[in-house]
Amino acid sequence: MEAVVNIYIVEKNFLLRSGLEGLISEIPGLILKEVFEGIEKNLFEKLTQKKPDVIIIDPDSVGDNFINLISKLQDEPDIKLIGLKREDCPENICSRFKYQLPYDANKHILLEKLREACGSDAFLIKNKQGPLSKREIVVLKEVVKGLTNQEVADKLFLSIHTVMTHRKNITKKLGIKTVSGLMVYALMNNIIDINEVV
Amino acid sequence: MLIVGEMKLAEVIHHDYNLVPVINRFDIPLGFGDGTIKQICAQRNVNLEFFLSILNTFHDEQYFPKDYLKSFPASLIINYLHKAHTYYLDEKIPQIKSMISKLFDLSEGNKKTLNLLSNFFNDYCKEFELHVAREEKEVYPYVLKLEEALDNSENQTMLDKDLLNYSIRTYEQDHEDVEEKLFDMKSLIIKYLPPENANNNIFEEVSYALLRELFVLEKELKEHSRIEDLILVPKVEGMEEQFKSNF
Repeated sequence: MEAVVNIYIVEKNFLLRSGLEGLISEIPGLILKEVFEGIEKNLFEKLTQKKPDVIIIDPDSVGDNFINLISKLQDEPDIKLIGLKREDCPENICSRFKYQLPYDANKHILLEKLREACGSDAFLIKNKQGPLSKREIVVLKEVVKGLTNQEVADKLFLSIHTVMTHRKNITKKLGIKTVSGLMVYALMNNIIDINEVV
Repeated sequence: MLIVGEMKLAEVIHHDYNLVPVINRFDIPLGFGDGTIKQICAQRNVNLEFFLSILNTFHDEQYFPKDYLKSFPASLIINYLHKAHTYYLDEKIPQIKSMISKLFDLSEGNKKTLNLLSNFFNDYCKEFELHVAREEKEVYPYVLKLEEALDNSENQTMLDKDLLNYSIRTYEQDHEDVEEKLFDMKSLIIKYLPPENANNNIFEEVSYALLRELFVLEKELKEHSRIEDLILVPKVEGMEEQFKSNF
């Protein structure tokens, strides 16, 4: 449960939506956060403010606004876009998607494609397991003392990017998201002493 | 399943026992007989459309109550949410706290750890209480005032310009950190609760029960925020639009 991929769906058609939900529920780590119909006002803002990892879009549900919406979404580097692809989907539309779920594919292929789209990067398949590394423990010690990422970076002569990567991995490995939760973990496991944090 | 007024309430509860705390919040005690939802609502003076909206929102994550929204006043929603808050603060949370302190008493070698968990949960509770207090002291009074202003809209002097400066959207966004703490509490217990002496059976039982209660609380809070997001917020947004058009 530690590493999750947050998915949003834009699909007005109930039958298709249920199918997508069924697929998503079969892959551990994928969480369906919210479903939009495609006709909502300010759909772009509604989608992006939630910081989705993946958005599955049916071009038919968005209608005339599709090109406008997809162009803006393509400018968001952290969001992966998956398109539903009808057999007769025009090239100028389906070429917008790096990942596609074809209407006529069978379940096995759809699951593979979904897994590939959601997990080819850091979060799912390479989900780091096992105990914290020495470096991660060093970072954890500083984080639970209340230091910001930048302060930790300065103190340990690391880039802020490295610190953030360590923090992400710590959270994934431990399944603990908040600083105060990490502090309890660190105290429980004698990684730090109570006198260091008070 | 879409729950409708013609269904028997008893069968609906058989079908989904998660609805028990909901009927309780509408002051429908167990032993309510064989009536349909409609009949029971009429007997007990419960707004049928509102009751159905809440039941369906709880029962089905896909449900979206837009057709019903206009048919009941916002004050009913607020009354419901307020009751739910009272239930969390006065019953659920104290119950969990007492389980933690029971664990502390039962523990033979890990009192330090349980103390840490207990403090962590207390911090969570404080944050949760703050969140609730903000809704109760800021958001709900705003909604009630807005409703009152709309009810008296023919009386122009009642139109309060200050109400225009606030928007329901701005407040419904800070659930996240509170939810994360609760999640962490579960992780800490599932993964890192140190083992007790093998024959400390009661400790084991209480820790299972505690974990179960945390899951239940988490689920209920999730439904609670869904009701806020799907019923309260759209309802109030509609009211805000109507209010603006009166100027």
